[in-house]
Amino acid sequence: MSTATAKGLGANASQSAGDAFSGWLRALGSDGAPTSPGWLDSLRSDALARIKQQAVPTAKAEGWRYTGLRALMAQSFQPVEEPVTALLIDDIEEVLIPSLDAHRVVVVNGRYSAQLSDLGVLPEGVRIGSLRDTLARDPDALVGLLAQIAGEGSHVFASLNTAGMDDGLVMLLKRGAMLQRPIELIHLSVGMDEPRVAQPRHLVSLGDGAQAELIERYVSLGESLYCNNSLLEIALGRDAVLRHRRVQLESPNAFHIAGLYLSQGANSRYAGVNIGLGGAWARTDLNVRFSGEHAECDLLGLYLAGDKQLIDYHMDVRHGLPNCSSRENFKGILYGKGKAVFDGLVYVARDAQKTDAAMSNRNLMLSQNAEVDTKPQLEIYADDVKCSHGTTVGQIEPEMLFYLRTRGISASLARRMLCLGFAGEIIEALGNESLQHYVAEHVGQRLEQSPL
Amino acid sequence: MLSVKGLKADVGENEILKGLDLEIRSGEVHAIMGPNGSGKSTFAHVLAGREGFQVSGGSVDFDGTDLLGLEPEERARLGLFLAFQYPVELPGVNNTYFLKAALNAIRKSRGEEELDAVSFMRLMKERLKVLHLDDSLLKRPVNFGFSGGEKKRNEIFQMALLEPKLAILDETDSGLDIDALRIVADGVNALRSPERSMIVVTHYQRLLDYIQPDYVHVLAKGRIIRSGGKELALELEEKGYGWIVGEEAA
Repeated sequence: MSTATAKGLGANASQSAGDAFSGWLRALGSDGAPTSPGWLDSLRSDALARIKQQAVPTAKAEGWRYTGLRALMAQSFQPVEEPVTALLIDDIEEVLIPSLDAHRVVVVNGRYSAQLSDLGVLPEGVRIGSLRDTLARDPDALVGLLAQIAGEGSHVFASLNTAGMDDGLVMLLKRGAMLQRPIELIHLSVGMDEPRVAQPRHLVSLGDGAQAELIERYVSLGESLYCNNSLLEIALGRDAVLRHRRVQLESPNAFHIAGLYLSQGANSRYAGVNIGLGGAWARTDLNVRFSGEHAECDLLGLYLAGDKQLIDYHMDVRHGLPNCSSRENFKGILYGKGKAVFDGLVYVARDAQKTDAAMSNRNLMLSQNAEVDTKPQLEIYADDVKCSHGTTVGQIEPEMLFYLRTRGISASLARRMLCLGFAGEIIEALGNESLQHYVAEHVGQRLEQSPL
Repeated sequence: MLSVKGLKADVGENEILKGLDLEIRSGEVHAIMGPNGSGKSTFAHVLAGREGFQVSGGSVDFDGTDLLGLEPEERARLGLFLAFQYPVELPGVNNTYFLKAALNAIRKSRGEEELDAVSFMRLMKERLKVLHLDDSLLKRPVNFGFSGGEKKRNEIFQMALLEPKLAILDETDSGLDIDALRIVADGVNALRSPERSMIVVTHYQRLLDYIQPDYVHVLAKGRIIRSGGKELALELEEKGYGWIVGEEAA
């Protein structure tokens, strides 16, 4: 999390975030933005005020050391003004997973598309809709939920998202509601005449004992240049269970910023799997807070970064209450001049006794020129806890390669097999077979294209 | 089938093989015995094409092809197979997927069609039975978490599947109890044929009770210093290597 202020950065380095991102904010309110209730207006203006007080994080700012913003700033992105309405389902066939049986929601350039979405029949107690719609028709349904978890953070992109909040997915499950099929949320980006930024804002709330699976995918048509700054807030009630899969396959020229803000009630379970394959520059922040005891949180991840690619995962897991467990297991494959950042912070407060926290980050380097900056951190103030962390950076074992080759398998296929073997644990954790197959296929393709 | 002439190989600064000669014809089984550090495993790995061994002299002709100029996978596709002394664990690499990739790579190079899933499974099940291997091994990662005996049987199972022209068994008996040894030996014997040759590298004579060689060679200090029939193995068992190595030095 950036805690930088203009003062802290020194005169030369500081540039006001308000100035730097004025373009992103320009269209605010001009696009017939939803007539918003007063409480939302004040959330937006608070966020705007935070942006104006902040400086753009530089390499000296905590959390941005290895993730430069220069390339992003250089693009002078403009906000998406008009929704893309011309697309029909046949036009987006290439990004669909035909065998995936799910309630489908498609967001195009940040705007909910009813035309491309296919909700099917939803079980009782489940409400799925667009943020715009909900704000226009039933804003009271969002009071006390929207912007409550990602509320006052100092993350400049979270503030930008809140200030520019316009549309996205609202998914509300009542107490005890149960989804049999997953919800698939497709973020589809379509290139425009000039580089655009979309700032979708999503809200997922599971009442006590509710259960669901959410599959989030980021895809694009073509190799266009754009920026996604998406933010998802998840509130899990007592005993709620959410399986969450995030597959980032943005265009090779895309900038991707994603914030996940998760609040877990007592005894709730969150199982998240993050796959990061695409984009030129991708930054993901996963933030977890516990509001009740005996909650469990799993954050798994797999990233592949090659030439002209930066993939950054930041995690911030705060154990403020006793008896919760969190597990982070991220694996990375780096090749060419690929760059990755893993920064995982687990904070255990004094009262959070019996916390069970484990963090692991393992990396496979396929080239001398690749780089990974890995920083697992445990900050522990309680005295009766079980916490561990480990990180490795290694190469393919020549022994393993030789063994495969003596069986007639070519060196390039052998390397691919070993990489997929390394990644297999995370791909399997996706659970859903269609999704596993889809991800394994894309990982395989990427490895095939990479100069090994 | 295999003609090794004056083979010299170094590991780092050390010359391990110092002019090794060996002729193997189709269908023959040759045992190579010798004390620890004599270069037996180095020889096996040099034939298979392992990096890190510098061939500094001599030649290896395999059915008319200069073996030393080939990549390990090219040698395998020509019909060379090395059963490892220490089979490598491949976490995350599914055994079935691995076996299928290997078999199809070799079939393809022979101009044969790749096997479809059904015929492949049928072939595997058939070969598994011969080695008394449980088919649950197929679902596990290659050699990962296998017992020592399972690893060695998995090697012979691969050999049964890939049907090489020349199989090199590198201390396949090491670490096996007598029951496992018998199973492995049965598996190997089932694969003996007039078209298939074998090099059995071993430290002990007892393996040769089960796999009867046509020839026995003694490798010491990087060269074959004595060759004979299977009675040579018995003599070695009785007297140890000392007499023969000593005799050579004298």
